Amino acid sequence: MKLIVDGLAVNFELIGKGKCVVLLHGWGDNLSTFSALMSSLRQRYTLIALDLPGFGSTQPPKQIWDLDNYADFLADFLLKLGVKRPYAVIGHSNGGALAVRALATGKIKADKLILIAASGIRDKKGAKRLAVKTVAKIGKATTLWLPTAKRQQLRRKLYGTIGSDLLAVPGLEETFKRTVRQDLQADAAKLDLPVLLIFASNDPAIPLSDGQRYHELIKHSYFEVLDANDHFIHQDQPDKTKDLIEGFL
Amino acid sequence: MNKLKVGVVFGSRSTEHDVSIVTAIASIIKPLQLSGEYEPVPIYIDKSGRWYSDPKLKDISLYSSGQISDFLARQKPIQLSLGGGLKIIKPGLKPKAIKLDVVFPATHGTHGEDGELMGLFELADVPYVGCDMPSSVLAMDKALAKIVTSSQNIPTPEFVWFYAADFAADTQAVVKRVAKLHYPLFVKPVHLGSSIGITKVSQKKDLINAIEVAAHYDNKVIVEEAVANLIEVTVPIIGNDKPVAAYVEQPLLNGDDVFDFDTKYMRGGKGKGSKQTGAQGYSTIPANIDRDLYHRSEQLALDVYAELGCTGIARIDLLIDAKTKSVYFNEVNPLPGSLYAHNWRKAGKSGVQLVSELVELALARHEQNRHKTTVFDTNYLKQY
Repeated sequence: MKLIVDGLAVNFELIGKGKCVVLLHGWGDNLSTFSALMSSLRQRYTLIALDLPGFGSTQPPKQIWDLDNYADFLADFLLKLGVKRPYAVIGHSNGGALAVRALATGKIKADKLILIAASGIRDKKGAKRLAVKTVAKIGKATTLWLPTAKRQQLRRKLYGTIGSDLLAVPGLEETFKRTVRQDLQADAAKLDLPVLLIFASNDPAIPLSDGQRYHELIKHSYFEVLDANDHFIHQDQPDKTKDLIEGFL
Repeated sequence: MNKLKVGVVFGSRSTEHDVSIVTAIASIIKPLQLSGEYEPVPIYIDKSGRWYSDPKLKDISLYSSGQISDFLARQKPIQLSLGGGLKIIKPGLKPKAIKLDVVFPATHGTHGEDGELMGLFELADVPYVGCDMPSSVLAMDKALAKIVTSSQNIPTPEFVWFYAADFAADTQAVVKRVAKLHYPLFVKPVHLGSSIGITKVSQKKDLINAIEVAAHYDNKVIVEEAVANLIEVTVPIIGNDKPVAAYVEQPLLNGDDVFDFDTKYMRGGKGKGSKQTGAQGYSTIPANIDRDLYHRSEQLALDVYAELGCTGIARIDLLIDAKTKSVYFNEVNPLPGSLYAHNWRKAGKSGVQLVSELVELALARHEQNRHKTTVFDTNYLKQY
């Protein structure tokens, strides 16, 4: 289904019956990431999953956005659908970071929050961040002589080896940089609703320590660790993820 | 014997840009080459509207690999010369001009299929394949096509059309006009193909959002009643004065009774694991309907083709109420994706035969029009 929000054609799915649950995908992903989860949750809940601007079949933002722009957009999207206060929000990876920011700033309201391998804990001294910066500098200098497509290919490869999403979506590189600069630890501490944290024991993209940090910061949080090596826990272990979510909701 | 030079024009500033590339390369250029009688000249219009021509543009991997932007960066856009036929000129120290004997438009949607290219070819006085400018304009405006055909008593679902600007200026006035229609409704941009921007609306509360979506893509919007107990069929037709139909074909619909972009171009075949891709393998040929309904559908499609003045090729989409056995005109595609070669193949016409016949039809129409008087001497200027 399509809807026009803030001048952008937005692709979304609205299925199921019952209390309203909103699902937010991560960077470079799209709403189909939740397919397995949605097929079981739809029996008891009205599910709204959308392709965030720049991903899937939704148009990209016309300017460079940060998490606040995405949060404003999310609020407008829900308003347009007539959803004043969803019962719950489920966010994976950067979708989790968006949910934290949108709820902490009061742009959206919900009764419950589920964060699956959520990003948003930005440790400036982190080794990965340093690696991204280094590769960015080296990558730029060493690929300047190549044609645009080859340069992009090589840079994509360089970033891929260190697990960065910087070039995952062409055209959104600046938006990505702004988004990952936002540390959400202060926002997490403001959250005053029950939050279920589902993290993987060996997530190659988001360290388990980020989940632990969220757990320390959020008053009413429940921390669940699944024995997994994948960042996409909801796809890798759909049944366990679903059971945890249903139990929490 | 010199081969006829056939300029195949594709791409352009359209939401169906990518579909056009496949139509041009797989369904037109390849069979033209295989025929041995024609020399296809690829003419690619990029998404910003620049025209390019180079033999390498016949290679689909150039586009699928994403190397096209680098390739074009090294190319100079071509120039056109319109006097006494159409010439493309490749700039350089020694500019190279190629005179085209025939043009085969392969664009879908805006800035091409909608009549714009056909107007250019008329001005250049070059034979071209497919519907002429007036019929392309009519066919690509869903509201105009319905107005013209319903004036000739061709049945079509009840509809209302309006400009996007009127909707923006007075939303409630438009909603009031739509109120005479019975739900469920389909809301569509009038000019776009491939089901882009189409929403099925079952309740009044969803109407405005659906119109906003259609108006996001087009300056004109049509709202029409949905046909109950729907069977959708489509009829590919070729010909000038004596058009003939291929098989009446029954496309696969998605759950919302919409034959949408994903169903049409992304999912491929019906069954799981189907190896077919693109606009093939998603339909039943011939349509699974009774003989009377089949023949009435075929005749209605031929009537629409004639009433809109189509020539060369077009595909007519029809809607059938399976209970009442009523057949309705839905819309026309003056340049069907991939020429609907899969259907023609089943009907006994190979891809090579299809493109050869279309080129012959273009030459015949041009020859026929050549005998029409368009200029004559007068004394009008002598009075000044």
